[in-house]
Amino acid sequence: MKQRATKEEILAAIKKVPLLSPSASRLLELTASSDHKLSEVIDIVRCDAALTARVLKIVNSVAYGLVHEVSTVDRAVGYLGERMIAGIALEDSAAALFHKELKGYNGPKSELWNHDLRTAIASREIAKHAKQPINQDLAFTAGILHAVGKAVLSDFLTQSANEVLAEIDDNEVTDYLAGERNLVGLDHTEAGYELAKSWELPDSLAAAIRYHHNPADTPEEHRLLVYAVHLGCIVAMMCGSQSSDSLQYHLDKNYTQYYDLTSEQLAMVMLEVNEMFDTLQSAMTDTKGK
Amino acid sequence: MSNLILGVGEFGASKTPGDIVKTFALGSCVAVIFMCPKTRTVGMVHVALPESKINPDKVKTRPGYFADTGIPALLKLMAGMGCDPKGRGFIVKLAGGAKIMDPNNTFNIGKRNALSIKKVLWKYGLGSVAEDLGATHSRTVSVAVSTGEIILSSPGRSDWKL
Repeated sequence: MKQRATKEEILAAIKKVPLLSPSASRLLELTASSDHKLSEVIDIVRCDAALTARVLKIVNSVAYGLVHEVSTVDRAVGYLGERMIAGIALEDSAAALFHKELKGYNGPKSELWNHDLRTAIASREIAKHAKQPINQDLAFTAGILHAVGKAVLSDFLTQSANEVLAEIDDNEVTDYLAGERNLVGLDHTEAGYELAKSWELPDSLAAAIRYHHNPADTPEEHRLLVYAVHLGCIVAMMCGSQSSDSLQYHLDKNYTQYYDLTSEQLAMVMLEVNEMFDTLQSAMTDTKGK
Repeated sequence: MSNLILGVGEFGASKTPGDIVKTFALGSCVAVIFMCPKTRTVGMVHVALPESKINPDKVKTRPGYFADTGIPALLKLMAGMGCDPKGRGFIVKLAGGAKIMDPNNTFNIGKRNALSIKKVLWKYGLGSVAEDLGATHSRTVSVAVSTGEIILSSPGRSDWKL
């Protein structure tokens, strides 16, 4: 059997992951708070020339099909919404993580970003069916970030996928998380949580990263959000994923305490995920490097 | 030789020897594969949802998205390539329809997709001769037009034939 890294080595590697850009960090902090204004989001974008250029390119991309060119930041932010602004800032700031080849999960380049974007859209759509008030934009941002731990853990799990899947098939472990823990001492939600602490992410987003496969363990104040991401992640996997861990997790049936979701509504969510994913991915891909 | 790649809700067919008809990463979606031995044509539709009634507008832009509109659309396309318009004599195979680990099957859209597809096939008097449906793994499907050989793959698993 291949000698695997220790938990301590992985934690040391997490500490070396570059910090998010100041704009991305500030946007995450701001959009996670309940009492912010859109003008504050606009101000952050205005103060970051690179982010401004990217936001304008995206809003004016063919995918959005606007008749008139948007040339000001406030109109662009108003049109895209703060969830997309946070998503763009995150992708730009941590592109090396989101778009790397997931060797430990036999996933091609950008597989993590594609899954995260689908999860973000699905989480926001599911949030519309919450039984209590929820910040839908925050559900989107949490979806973008939820699986970031896989980018870190992947490097330590090379050539492990068949081993983990065999353990699941033989009922030796209950899901992919347990397989990860067996191999390297921690799973991708724990690795992501360590990264969230290093990045000083807001508690709500850190909770989504840590508990999205075990939402019942979430502190009560974040449970509504985390169940949205839990379901969003599952919907994203149902929509298709080229990663060895796809669908190798459990649905927590207690989501019904927090969400009303009929099978027809679930189908509508999937439809929206596929449609929005094509639009957003096209807009974000077509505007890179131009 | 070229690859005919079909995305979610897309359908297509080829009768060019050497072509591969392919769709990636089926989760709960199901690939319906038609093979017409008479014209040596291979067709495939990547069905995402069971019924079009949830969004009739989508049918206009992407009929392959739904089982009840995708199969007729593929039959029509293949009829234009010289195949029987009702699929008589076709070899039918199905792959996909995976699910998350959930003993209650609450989120089992894959199963509903498969049932809806079979219902539509029955209307045409068609039935599948081979299936690889359900379970908890995603599937990429490749069909060789020359031989009709279908290879299924899933990350972390060895390829297998249908």
